[in-house]
Amino acid sequence: MSENAITRRSFLAGSAGVAALAAAGGYMSFGAWKQACADEPASDEGSWFAYSMCNACSSKCGYKAYVKRGRLSKLIPNEYDAHAQGKICARGYGYPAIVYSEDRLTDPLKKNDKGEFEVISWEQAYQEIGDKVKAILDSDGPQALAMVQDPRPSGAYYTKRFMDALGSPNFYTHGAACNISKASGFSQVIGAGDFSADVENSKMIMYIGRSVADAVRPAHLLALQKAHDNGAKVVMVDPRCNNSTVFADEWLPVNPGTDLAFLLAMSHVLIRDGIYDAAYVAENVVGFDEFAAGVKDCTPAWAEAICGIPAADIERLAVEFSQAAPAACIDAGWRGAFGNQYANSGETARAIAVFNTLLGCWNQKGGALFLPSVSAGKLDEEKFPAVPKPEGKKVGSEEYPLASSSMGVNVFAAQRAKEGAIKGMFFYNSNMVAGYSNPVYLQECLDALDLCVVVDIQMSETALCADYVLPECSFLERLELPAFNGGKVPSVSLRDKVLDIVHPNTKPCDEIFTGLAEACGVGEYFPFTVEELADAQLKSVGLSLDALRKVGTISFPEKAFEYGKAPKWKTPSEKIQFVSEACVAAGYTPAPTWVAPAVTPAGGNQFRLITGKQAMHSHTMTANCEPLMAITQDYDLTRIWMNADRAEQLGISDGDEVEISNDQHTGRCRVKVTQRLNPTAVFLPPAYGCSSKDQHTAYGIGLRSTDFQAYQLENGYGSTMSHEILVTVKKVGA
Amino acid sequence: MARYGMLINTKKCVGCFACRTACQRQNDLLPNESFIKFHEFERGTYPNVTIEHVPTQCMHCVDAPCQAVCPTGATYTTEDGIVCVDHGRCIGCKYCMAACPYGARVVNEETGAVDKCRFCTVSALDGTEMCTCVTACPTGVRIFGDLDDPESEVSKQIAELNAQPIDGDLTEAKVFYVR
Amino acid sequence: MSFEPIWGAPIAWYLFLAGLGGGAFVTSAFLRWRHPEAVNMRKAGHIIAPVVVMIGLVLLMIDAEAGLHHPLRFALLLHNPFSVMTWGVVFLAAFMVIALVVLLLDFLKKRVPAWLEVAGVVFAVCVAMYTGALLGVCKTFPLWNNALLPILFLVSAMSAGAASVLLVGALRFAGEFEVVGLLKKAHYCLPLVEIVLVAALCFITSYNSTAGFDSVMGLVCGSWAPLFWLGLVIVGLVAPTAVETWLLFFAPKEFEESSKARMVSVGVDACVLVGGFLLRYLVVMAALPVVFVM
Repeated sequence: MSENAITRRSFLAGSAGVAALAAAGGYMSFGAWKQACADEPASDEGSWFAYSMCNACSSKCGYKAYVKRGRLSKLIPNEYDAHAQGKICARGYGYPAIVYSEDRLTDPLKKNDKGEFEVISWEQAYQEIGDKVKAILDSDGPQALAMVQDPRPSGAYYTKRFMDALGSPNFYTHGAACNISKASGFSQVIGAGDFSADVENSKMIMYIGRSVADAVRPAHLLALQKAHDNGAKVVMVDPRCNNSTVFADEWLPVNPGTDLAFLLAMSHVLIRDGIYDAAYVAENVVGFDEFAAGVKDCTPAWAEAICGIPAADIERLAVEFSQAAPAACIDAGWRGAFGNQYANSGETARAIAVFNTLLGCWNQKGGALFLPSVSAGKLDEEKFPAVPKPEGKKVGSEEYPLASSSMGVNVFAAQRAKEGAIKGMFFYNSNMVAGYSNPVYLQECLDALDLCVVVDIQMSETALCADYVLPECSFLERLELPAFNGGKVPSVSLRDKVLDIVHPNTKPCDEIFTGLAEACGVGEYFPFTVEELADAQLKSVGLSLDALRKVGTISFPEKAFEYGKAPKWKTPSEKIQFVSEACVAAGYTPAPTWVAPAVTPAGGNQFRLITGKQAMHSHTMTANCEPLMAITQDYDLTRIWMNADRAEQLGISDGDEVEISNDQHTGRCRVKVTQRLNPTAVFLPPAYGCSSKDQHTAYGIGLRSTDFQAYQLENGYGSTMSHEILVTVKKVGA
Repeated sequence: MARYGMLINTKKCVGCFACRTACQRQNDLLPNESFIKFHEFERGTYPNVTIEHVPTQCMHCVDAPCQAVCPTGATYTTEDGIVCVDHGRCIGCKYCMAACPYGARVVNEETGAVDKCRFCTVSALDGTEMCTCVTACPTGVRIFGDLDDPESEVSKQIAELNAQPIDGDLTEAKVFYVR
Repeated sequence: MSFEPIWGAPIAWYLFLAGLGGGAFVTSAFLRWRHPEAVNMRKAGHIIAPVVVMIGLVLLMIDAEAGLHHPLRFALLLHNPFSVMTWGVVFLAAFMVIALVVLLLDFLKKRVPAWLEVAGVVFAVCVAMYTGALLGVCKTFPLWNNALLPILFLVSAMSAGAASVLLVGALRFAGEFEVVGLLKKAHYCLPLVEIVLVAALCFITSYNSTAGFDSVMGLVCGSWAPLFWLGLVIVGLVAPTAVETWLLFFAPKEFEESSKARMVSVGVDACVLVGGFLLRYLVVMAALPVVFVM
């Protein structure tokens, strides 16, 4: 966060006419940004600007968007936005092209008896969906309805409120196909689903399966570079030598799915040599002895045989960690390695939380932090009536008891649809069919529904399975609710409406779900506009929509993080739990121990199929965006990566076309022969293999990893285990 | 009068393509029209590997071969040493593309005219006070400035880091590299 | 990022047709000097020359898309006196004017002044050489950037020009075709010279740089190899030479003057023309740029 950030107090001071008032130490005044705004060229006809937030990934970086003659012009990243910090990534600049895509959905669609989509009116769509929802509620109750959404500021609010109003607890995020194991595993140990490594102040930072240069959140990348420049030791544990290794001291090409063995062995060394923070552990931890007993045999030599990292390196790194502690930690990661990849991802997450605890680094400078955030306070009950909490348990919460309750196991809801228990599903900003698990299986699940409604801006593979497709306007054409971001200084950013509606018959999600709620007979919970709600939320924290509109981001320095403050552990024992009863109930050992991945490649022409990120794409979300797909095409980025030695053994040369097959799927693509990959795996770039013909830029380009993925869920945690895939690879024509 | 140039420090480049799409967005280019190209190198053998990303673009050569061959005078050099294309004069013969040793020029498929990096700082508007790629780069790979001013950041860094043109004296380039 | 050739078939056709036109004009002049009786063949050369050059120029203008949308911009072509393309425009313009005047004089059945024919020959040679120099000054492409290329293109242009005139002679003016022995001998020599020049170009280019080596490898054993060996070398160079050798030195006298022999000649000339185009096409397409970053 820049020192010149606009703060809540300085903003108020400024708007009260007190210029250049330094309200909080180190934070500059309203006058400063007013001066900056005065330098802007006067807007002429059809030209203006507004603050918005990117929609190309979950980071939602803030920027100022300029409009010229009614069309989007330049984007200037917001220096004060928590995630952008003055930068946006390749997707940020490229993704807005989707606004003008010829593949945009322009009207509500209904699938007819022949399976073709027909244009219908909004009235008809609302009416028919409302009738079907009511019929399902009458026959099977609210438990037979489910919602899957990838959280966005308005979307998360409106979809949740809609489901609450219908009385259904079956509200899911994309998490089971993203970071559910990580969030759930962390929660078992530290009572929180996430933490933030204090990367820029660390003396030693280790990333496991996380590449901040490939899955870019600018704030994360900037922090890594700072750490590197400060001389911190940066260690990258990843089967792939990812692009973040530019700023790393070491790359450890771990065998995919075995990070847990590596972590247990490092913990073993800390405990064996007594170089962990014993005082911290004694004071804060439950179950240390059980964990210590469990890793007694997890020697570096044992781990080397499993994970491929030399025992000497494991010994050395553990010692280096202990020397750097408490200004050291393992980064929380995002999706890679333990978000939803392996049969042991949840347990890997537990082991990371345990390891960081051994370092005593929680809330220490350079360690692992729990950063504050601000949320909207109480609103006027009359204008924003409270919705009763739905009764009953979320579908999947019993079968996957460790799964984060705020995320839920989305694909399990789809499975229950196939089994007849769920009758109606809604999707918002979610392409479950192509992106979450096996597309053929998920399509069958959705085909079994009485009602499937998809809200999107283009015809995704999931939308193809829908009975009704409702066209949203794009993110630049709508105002959304304020986004409260955690941080060392928490802040709030706004996605304001930048452009006039491009396709007149599209609507923003707030209107869509308000309309659906009315049609479903629960309109009484939506007697407000998004503007009114946004303003009320902001007023509840001492701001206003008008104020936020003027600057895009406002921070709350009075809520700033302080080092050294002991966190409150929201665990059953209110301590850090190296042991977990819930994990035992789910069939795991009390403290994390070695759990093998579900599959192991046999060698020869068999590999584990892994995926990851490329900096210009976000899964299926960005593939149909022309400037981003042009990069893919220019640099032939759909190629599957293969280790050079393995390729040589198989007689495969760089650029050869290869056939990749397993019992789920067979496909062909070119190969990138590289020194940058663990020999046991092939790396298939994500985002490709679009099978929706209505996405003309993306259709048919490259392969999709989910096609090779069986529908299977991680024990207890419910993740889709996206890397538990074996494939054989052979040269075409050989 | 200035002599504009750029420093590109590949040691900081993570090959994220932000400069490419930023340049396209801010300069209103077509999706497949890119002024910046990337060259990726991996060195060493598994597991001792290093990677390098080298972004290249118009080097704004003093002795610009593109300008030498341009038959219509569409390519010209400003007083500040910026090699420019006057789109109103370009016939799209692509001779400049054949002459440029850096492959820095691209055809705009809508107009048929040839285009390239403009060192866009000079025409900066709407909040961009610097070349788009310079401000967009998340890791600070690029520095832009006046090579004639020994006090400019770019001059100081070129001297300090001993930055060199990408290919020796192939041309008298004004983009310098640290590798 | 893989390299995409900057120019394609239209420019290859343009380079070929400009050379062909120049060659045809020179052939006509040669006939006037050594075979004044072959009037019709000479006139045929005078027709071929401006027509094919005109077609080539149209192709060039279509390829120059920005100019095509704004034709007035072509008026700017004389702006840069240091550009080979500007010289080319001058040479082409002068040549076209002369060739059209000559054609007009032929049409009006007036005698073409010798000085005009000589001037035409000078510009015809300039045009043919220019097509090689146009590519030759591009330092980026080793396959182009050498002094051999203009000579090779000149020889090929003369060969193609002579072939086109002989082709018309064999098909339309059998009597004249039988008597232009010197032209045939000259025409016979040209592919031989070309073979030597192509071989020299490949050898020298493959030694001068990695890109040069890769370009030549692309021709002799890469993706262009089938077209190079079958199209250019066999059809365009070796076959005409072999057949002509037989016709000129070994065939029985009676066969040499038969209509069958003329048909064989037609085939040979067609092969030479195919070879002439393929030479330009392969040189344009197979050239790889020097690697400037590694």
